Amino acid sequence: MSDLDRFFATCLFEIDNCSDLSSIDAVRMAIFGKNGKITEIMKSLKNMTPREKREFGEKINNIKEKVRARLQEKTRTLELDDMEKKLSSEFVDVFMPARPYSPGLVHPLSKTEEEISGVLASYGFRFADGPEIESEYMNFTALNMPDHHPARTMHDTFYMKIPADKDGCKLLRTHTSPVQVRAMLQHKPPLRFFSIGRVFRNDYDATHTPMFSQIEGLMVDIDVGFAHLKWFMSDILKQFFAIPNLALRFRTSFFPFTEPSVEVDINYEIKNGKVVFGTGDKWMEIGGAGVVHPTVLEHGNVDAAKYQGIAFGFGLERLATLKYGVPDLRGYFESDDRWRKSFGFSFFA
Amino acid sequence: MRFTFNWLKNHLSTELSIEQVSKRLTSIGIEVENFSDPDTLFKNFKLARIVQVQNHPNADKLKLCSVIDSSGKTYQIVCGAPNVAPGLTAVLAMPGAIIPYSGVVLKKSKIRGIESEGMMCSHKELALPSEENDSIIDLGPNVDLSESVGNALGLDGGIIDVSITPNRGDCLSVKGIARDLAAAGVGEFLPCSNVSCPSSFEFPITINYENSDGCKKYAPVMAFRVIRGIDNSTAIAKIKNIFMALGQKSISPIVDLANLFMMDCGRPLHVYDLNKIEGEIAVRFANPKEEFIDLSGNKHQLLQDMMVSADNKSVLCLLGIMGSQKVACDKYTTDILLESALFDPIFISRTGAVLNLTSDSRSRFERGVDRDSCFSELENATKLILDFCGGTASNIIVLGKHPDVQDNVTITKSKLRSISGCDLDWNESRQILKKLGLRETSSSDETATFLIPSWRCDLSIEEDLVEEVLRISGYDNVVEKKFDTWVVTDDEILNKKRHIFTTKKLLAAKGLSEVISYSFIKAEHASIFDESGSLVQLLNPINTDMGVMRSSLIPNLIVAAIRSLHYGQLHVEIFEIGNVFCGDCSQNLNIAGLRAGVTHERSWAQPSRVVDLFDAKSDLLVVLDHFGIDEKNVTLKLDAPSYYHPSRSGVMWSGKRKLGYFGELHPKINKLFGIAEKLICFEFLRPDIEVASRETPYNSKVFPKIARDFAFLFKASDSVGSLLNDIYKLDAKIIRADIFDCFEINCAEKSIGLSIVMEAADRTLTEEEAQEVSEKVINYVKGVGGKLRGK
Repeated sequence: MSDLDRFFATCLFEIDNCSDLSSIDAVRMAIFGKNGKITEIMKSLKNMTPREKREFGEKINNIKEKVRARLQEKTRTLELDDMEKKLSSEFVDVFMPARPYSPGLVHPLSKTEEEISGVLASYGFRFADGPEIESEYMNFTALNMPDHHPARTMHDTFYMKIPADKDGCKLLRTHTSPVQVRAMLQHKPPLRFFSIGRVFRNDYDATHTPMFSQIEGLMVDIDVGFAHLKWFMSDILKQFFAIPNLALRFRTSFFPFTEPSVEVDINYEIKNGKVVFGTGDKWMEIGGAGVVHPTVLEHGNVDAAKYQGIAFGFGLERLATLKYGVPDLRGYFESDDRWRKSFGFSFFA
Repeated sequence: MRFTFNWLKNHLSTELSIEQVSKRLTSIGIEVENFSDPDTLFKNFKLARIVQVQNHPNADKLKLCSVIDSSGKTYQIVCGAPNVAPGLTAVLAMPGAIIPYSGVVLKKSKIRGIESEGMMCSHKELALPSEENDSIIDLGPNVDLSESVGNALGLDGGIIDVSITPNRGDCLSVKGIARDLAAAGVGEFLPCSNVSCPSSFEFPITINYENSDGCKKYAPVMAFRVIRGIDNSTAIAKIKNIFMALGQKSISPIVDLANLFMMDCGRPLHVYDLNKIEGEIAVRFANPKEEFIDLSGNKHQLLQDMMVSADNKSVLCLLGIMGSQKVACDKYTTDILLESALFDPIFISRTGAVLNLTSDSRSRFERGVDRDSCFSELENATKLILDFCGGTASNIIVLGKHPDVQDNVTITKSKLRSISGCDLDWNESRQILKKLGLRETSSSDETATFLIPSWRCDLSIEEDLVEEVLRISGYDNVVEKKFDTWVVTDDEILNKKRHIFTTKKLLAAKGLSEVISYSFIKAEHASIFDESGSLVQLLNPINTDMGVMRSSLIPNLIVAAIRSLHYGQLHVEIFEIGNVFCGDCSQNLNIAGLRAGVTHERSWAQPSRVVDLFDAKSDLLVVLDHFGIDEKNVTLKLDAPSYYHPSRSGVMWSGKRKLGYFGELHPKINKLFGIAEKLICFEFLRPDIEVASRETPYNSKVFPKIARDFAFLFKASDSVGSLLNDIYKLDAKIIRADIFDCFEINCAEKSIGLSIVMEAADRTLTEEEAQEVSEKVINYVKGVGGKLRGK
């Protein structure tokens, strides 16, 4: 082993033996300092031949580079050790509670409205709006419920304390169906519309609230009939509930504004005390539908000889209840904190 | 409407079970709400007669009864009912029976040490309507013990409860329901044989239309008959039992029979006690303000367009709706006048609606009863009464005549196809209509014309016939058909709704929760929050707390907040998006939020504070920003509505458009609602505005920004927040201006820390330029009354 080799080995040994940053500084000085070992070694250079000088120089430079790298590496390791030691003393009790954070919640009816809107819009149905304070004409007469039609008494109507005009009394609309007529009066067929909004009936008990919300749909075209209605109802409900094998049942019913009129049921069964849709042979009512009565088309300025319409309606609360398990209709409008925490939706949902 | 299965079978011969029939009824549009099958219900029940009653050795109130069943077997039963006595016929539940009321399965058990081999049941235990609570059922001494329990109780094969849609007046009768079922393939319809009862004496009183033409318009035909010598005091056990099982009140034999008859064939009859009629009877319009006292003793004031029958003294009957108390039958009634008539549906409906009088008779007449059967039904009713109550009948007298109506409706194959959307068999379709009682008067391969039967008032157009075909053949036969979807990209209303959805999410992200509340509120609250001075009132509200359409969303938010605070919440953050209403009935969408209490629960990490108007200001600005309105373009005024605190509230404007309010509510509101916590609210009045897109140009080059802080002295009462908007206008290089500090030095002065950040889009600003901008700011602030501190 030459002197240089021994020197190299000694340097590495000293570096590796350092246990803190101050001792590594001392080692650095001892090797590279003004009066350090390198300077000492370089002194021997002056007695050498040029060839020896070149060989020795090359060798010492190589050693210097390797020692520097070792020093750097050791320094970084010691620095990290030092930081870890310091950090471990910076104790914070992470089990302490976080800073207060309480995001608000979106009402389940808004969530349901957004979802069903998206489904209907995807078929090319446009949103149509109508006023909540309607005329007697729009709410009843235009929908084939003339004065003293027995069906009017099925709707417990709220009337406004305002004198009647040519369109009769002002009232709180009892259903969203007047929007059908408004949409037909505003647009030429073929047309596809839906509406979602509040409706009002003078009925207040365990299963009724005087205000609730309906979803209404109307399609008027040259070739559209009950067969299309059947497909459409089935398709939108499958999408809304995200149940591809949901079965539907159509039962005869009566609405003055459709002919024929049906009530629509979806299938379910009770599994482990829970209602599961899309399986089983029990039926739950979900909405009404039918082929638009020619009188209603005429009130909407649509040529009933040329066009036909299909229409349907659902209760928004019912859809929300069935999809999200909200138990009691009244809860929707009572603004109760606990109810909201159970059934409200995070804004990301 | 409720009826028994065996009653239905009087009109329909079928082998199907009550369950099968019920399913079919629902599918053809006669919705069965409930049905009970007595064979299932009363499995393990039997009839038994008490033969001996002894005291229970270990209990004063209990008895030991020996009872015997139809096979002669005796059982020992422990019973506590007060009415146990030898000879009583009871309904005996045997071990294994499920008690209808409780759903409990009965077991053999020892009661106070003595074994009871079964239980004698009360009406309540069998879930049957009854006025007696403790007593066990006594079916009387004449019941055959081998009879089924269901029959002995009058359940008569089971009870079916249906709801009838308003178009089907003909199905407000068991006969009508049977006819529909037969058409739907459930057995065969059994038509009634028409009877005629011979007259034993001459019709004894005078009845006339007073104004013949007018009366005939609304009461085209009326038939009358007198029956004398009836017994109205002896209850008819069979009818009483059926009525009890149906939950229908039994009144007197004659009234019960008339009701039974109406339920059976759909024709309401009116029965007058003949001996209470004074003089002649006139069928006429009511006199102005004429008084009518109905069956229940309620007084009504009649209008001139209502029709009555009246004797020389008073109104006897409000035609088609209800009789008067005066001529009502009671147990002493022996002679009756029977009326069978036809009335105009709209006329009946209007009269009933105006007087707010409902009756079984009204609900049938306003839906339409068979217009051709006044006489034949009067004959059938007479027979029923003579059979059950005895007596003899007079001849029939008739006012007016049956209307001569021939309704023909044509159905085309093409309409059948276009409405159904599929190809239904033409012959089968016509067959269905025929089975429903429509008579085909002509037909071809493409069209068929039918005569509408007199009982189907609801069939008048081609679509009605198509519905009948579909209803009976079933919607399952219609094969689904797809239609193409349309691609719609310009639905502005939907885009607007979507923007509202995202606004809800934004507010939720800001910590506010959504509520949805009633659109009508208390008048007292509404008027305080009304700016327009005109509110819309409801004519017939649920109660006065819901009497007026709201013109602001705030009152309901306050009510909700109070509820939360009472419940122990320390802080409330809620919002609602909904319509508010003006006096002219127009509606506007509003967005409103309310905060009350502290910012958050006490926390070690962050002090909480009571919320203030600046929280609401920030809420409103976030909403405005979401609608594309930059704070820099908003002007603030101080004239918020009177329900806001006069000096802690503001109004935001954009040009001439009032955007909304924010601030603390006036303490008078706290007082009115009885709430101590400050109420911090905002209202955005214009969600209808077009959402502006953001127009901040993007500069990819970056140059150093220069920041300068200033401290100014102002009078304590100076308003300084609005300086910021003006400072932006001083120089385009100012990209941010903020007040970072504000404190009062003494009562007279306050110090304001103002920070300015400047930047040029195309170069590094020089020190001189920065100085120039700073001077502009200083000079401007001086101009509005600020003093630069330290100078």
